[in-house]
Amino acid sequence: MKSTISLYIIVLALLMLSCDERNTATLAPEYLYNAGDQKVIKSIINNKKGTIAMLYGNDLALETAHDSLSKPNIGAHYTLVTWKQKPMPQWYGTNMNGEIYSIEHLKIVQRNETRFAFDYDFQTGKAYQPSDDRPEKQQRIEFITSQQAAVFP
Amino acid sequence: MKKPGLTFYKSAAVVLILIFVGLQISSPDIENQPVTSEIAVPANVKKILERACYDCHSNEAKVEWFDKIAPASFVVAHDVNEARSRFNFSEWDRNPAGVQELLLWEMVNAIEQGKMPLKRYQLAHPGGKVSESELAVLKKYVNTLPGRHKVDTSRIVAQTSVNHKASSQKTPVSLNGIPYSSDYKNWKIISVTDKLDGGSMRIVYGNDIMVKAIEKRELPFPDGARIVKVVWGKQAEDNDGNVLPGNFQNAQFMIKDSKKYSATEGWGFAKFDGLDLKPAGKTILFEQTCANCHRLLAPENDFVFNIPTK
Repeated sequence: MKSTISLYIIVLALLMLSCDERNTATLAPEYLYNAGDQKVIKSIINNKKGTIAMLYGNDLALETAHDSLSKPNIGAHYTLVTWKQKPMPQWYGTNMNGEIYSIEHLKIVQRNETRFAFDYDFQTGKAYQPSDDRPEKQQRIEFITSQQAAVFP
Repeated sequence: MKKPGLTFYKSAAVVLILIFVGLQISSPDIENQPVTSEIAVPANVKKILERACYDCHSNEAKVEWFDKIAPASFVVAHDVNEARSRFNFSEWDRNPAGVQELLLWEMVNAIEQGKMPLKRYQLAHPGGKVSESELAVLKKYVNTLPGRHKVDTSRIVAQTSVNHKASSQKTPVSLNGIPYSSDYKNWKIISVTDKLDGGSMRIVYGNDIMVKAIEKRELPFPDGARIVKVVWGKQAEDNDGNVLPGNFQNAQFMIKDSKKYSATEGWGFAKFDGLDLKPAGKTILFEQTCANCHRLLAPENDFVFNIPTK
């Protein structure tokens, strides 16, 4: 009888201890993207597509984005990383980046003495579905090169 | 060994009764101050707040007889005082409009995560629970608040006026001693967000220590980890659905130092408003406001909201 009671007490104490144990979130480093030495130009939300994106660029790309030059800078290199949005687990009311959807690289290269060319590359991420449409190259080039940089202090 | 006699039990009982009576005499009273500016919300929302929140978060606390018996009364008084200090539905106008909205979103989140109403309150007051359908009513309501669909339509200002810039050459320093620094511009991005409440978009940077910790799935984060969140308004959506950043609003810093910032869960908080980076908060208490919400809603994340998690 006595041993049953003490067993109950031990089990109860263990239960209370386990309730007190804090759940720990599972970090998802696979959502990170390493843009190397490129700097932030801006972020872009698209709720129609349910995506959120970061536009990065090297110094020449950043210069174009700041001054909205009419002619692209030869040597400019842009990276547009697009993630699927997901609700923030700890805060109802915020959407954040989840799995990577696509990575677009755009380089502005010298073709000959007077002309330049666009070197555009579309890579798919984990969230990209084989049935999804590929973006139209010319449209994407225009979209990326026309972006003004976000204002920073 | 001699067994304790009857007198032992008698005197023990007398001592316990004396302690109990003494506790009743020193037991705190819950006083209801006058209602000065009650929150104005639709009737269906009000009904839920009155039933589940008003006993602690208002000046209309209905204290039950069992709440008045010590030692329970000490717990009740502590909870009511703490609750009223966070927000008080009877003195709602003491919060600026933007803060009122943020508090309502925070309430929805606290209820959704099961953090509020407090478990011990629900045990003693079975009517204190908020059901799933009631939470849905509250969610629907917060989505109608003005900040929810706020669009930044003003011309984008790229820098502070020349005069201002000359006078603000000094590095802004937060009231708790954290200086502004633009080092984050060389850090990696740890998350990108669209905050629906209040209408803003954010880029969150982490220093090397922070990024390495995420890569190694290391929680809690080590001392020396730093996070900077840069916040912009949102421009109107274009035809293709793109929403671009509008004006710069603020930059928010979190610095991990478990000893130095032990009073705020190991994190030092700072916020710098506008292009002239005015340190936020009137008193050092501002950091407790930050910590309170992070402590309540993000303990699983080492108190950080904006990290990539499954």
